[in-house]
Amino acid sequence: MSAFKRKRGGQGAVGKKAKKAKVVADRDGAPSETEQGTKNEVTVPAPVSSGKWTNKERVLIFSSRGINFRTRHLMQDLRTMMPHSKADTKMDRKDKLFVVNEVCEIKNCNKCLFFEAKKKQDLYMWIANSPHGPSAKFLVQNIHTLAELKMTGNCLKGSRPLLSFDPKFDKEPQFALLKELFIQTFSTPHYHPKSQPFVDHVYTFTIADNRIWFRNYQIIEEDASLVEIGPRFVLNLIKVFQGSFGGPTLYENPDFKSPNMVKPSSCLLKLYAWYFCK
Amino acid sequence: MVVDSGTMEPAEEQQQEQEEEEEEEEEEMLGLDSEENSEMSDDELQEAFASGLLKPGMNVLVDQPKKHVNNVEGMKQCLADFRKDLPWVERLVLTNPPAEDVLSQAEGKVPKPANGDVNADDDFQREMFFYRQAQATVLEALPLLSKHGIATKRPEDYFAEMAKSDQHMQKIRKKLISKQMILEKSEKAKKLREQRKFGKKVQVEVIQKRQKEKKAMMTAVKRYQKGMTDKLEFLEGDKKQPGKDSAQGSKKAAAKKGPNAKRKFKDQKFGFGGKKSGKKWNTKESFNDVSSFRAKVANAKGGKKGKGGKQNKRPGKSVRKKMKGRS
Repeated sequence: MSAFKRKRGGQGAVGKKAKKAKVVADRDGAPSETEQGTKNEVTVPAPVSSGKWTNKERVLIFSSRGINFRTRHLMQDLRTMMPHSKADTKMDRKDKLFVVNEVCEIKNCNKCLFFEAKKKQDLYMWIANSPHGPSAKFLVQNIHTLAELKMTGNCLKGSRPLLSFDPKFDKEPQFALLKELFIQTFSTPHYHPKSQPFVDHVYTFTIADNRIWFRNYQIIEEDASLVEIGPRFVLNLIKVFQGSFGGPTLYENPDFKSPNMVKPSSCLLKLYAWYFCK
Repeated sequence: MVVDSGTMEPAEEQQQEQEEEEEEEEEEMLGLDSEENSEMSDDELQEAFASGLLKPGMNVLVDQPKKHVNNVEGMKQCLADFRKDLPWVERLVLTNPPAEDVLSQAEGKVPKPANGDVNADDDFQREMFFYRQAQATVLEALPLLSKHGIATKRPEDYFAEMAKSDQHMQKIRKKLISKQMILEKSEKAKKLREQRKFGKKVQVEVIQKRQKEKKAMMTAVKRYQKGMTDKLEFLEGDKKQPGKDSAQGSKKAAAKKGPNAKRKFKDQKFGFGGKKSGKKWNTKESFNDVSSFRAKVANAKGGKKGKGGKQNKRPGKSVRKKMKGRS
């Protein structure tokens, strides 16, 4: 990384006077050779985007405490795949959820992916549009990370993805809302400084069994032969809220069964054990 | 009595205790009632029972049907506020059903559900569904991307950081190779086993064939020696192949007819166990039957065997030598 700070919104560098580079004389000066032009001073090259990056989406990806290794890897994988993401430290679970909004504001992010682990078993994911927008809570299941050896594909770090949605997303209002949320969160903005100019992988969101299945494939050939890169997970919608991490509930999934209900409680287990041992 | 459990969660334990008490009070009695629908404390229940409103019976815990929020208007409004209208290049989104399943159509099985719903439990089908959806997207998107001037193929000399490190890809490669090796090894082992079995079979067949040939040869030689045939064709063995085939063909046909009449008779008389109905025992008639008595044979005491003997008798060594020398 160069030692010089780049101004955001590249047009600024072109308009202003170029900074004098005193240290360049010591270095090889390979980058400066291309920039000589008419001036004797070395100009810092403007970023590639040079003002073309207009879609300013930033996603904050972080988690609460008490997550297990799989969740941590999933989070890291998402940060790798999405160059427009930012990381933050773990949030204490004692804090209320609307604190997350403040964290987002501090980091200047307008989207958030928050992972919450309960009882060291269940993983919940919040996806939210930070200041005012809608948010949704999901139960995450069937997580497979990038590091699994069965996923043999690879892609450029920070390349822009294609997004592929099931037509079922357009049929119901909650899915339409979720689709918009996913699009804005997962698609890398055009001319993002950390992005690569090639499109070589595709995310698929499919609805099956009333759950949303996420897959990530690498595009190998022009004839659409694909290999899975990972990660992969399944989202089970719980609720959709009008506000960010709060606000009135817009939609509640009637088919959702909390994992607590599905699993027998510990006292019930003890009762069974006592009865059978009798 | 029906107890409303709409607010079970916060005061679960308390309510459970209440219910248990109520059940204990009324557990010996029979009957059913389903009128009361409100939460009641112990005292209230006792009063109600006393006044005859509450009848004894089994108390069933019934959940109030949960009302799930589905604010369609609100969602549509929210979506309208929230959506951004950006050019396609910014978002690169496509919505499409999966591409045609070429493989399964080629194989002839088309278990496509009518509404395009995929069975989430059938792993292979599900993953193929997702794969085909991605394929359809890619097929549609590539021309669009080239139209907008976005490349999808990385040039050979473009080195950049990949999502998975090179080390990791090496590990993956090694794993794939090792899997292939294991497969190949098992295939080889299977083939070897098959070969051995087959080899054994072939060996047995060859031995049997040889034995048969030997036997045939020996019988032919013996027949010649005993003078039954004067042809020496058995020595030429191999030359008879075209004729042999037809003979073999006819032999096969003969074999197919099954056991012949003689065999059948013998089976009937001697074979397959069971009582032979006293056929080997003497009867009065067979005992009294002296037709096979030959007086000469019975009375002769080791006398001359006559012409019959001489026919079978082998000449002596000197005579044989003479014969050999002559022929």
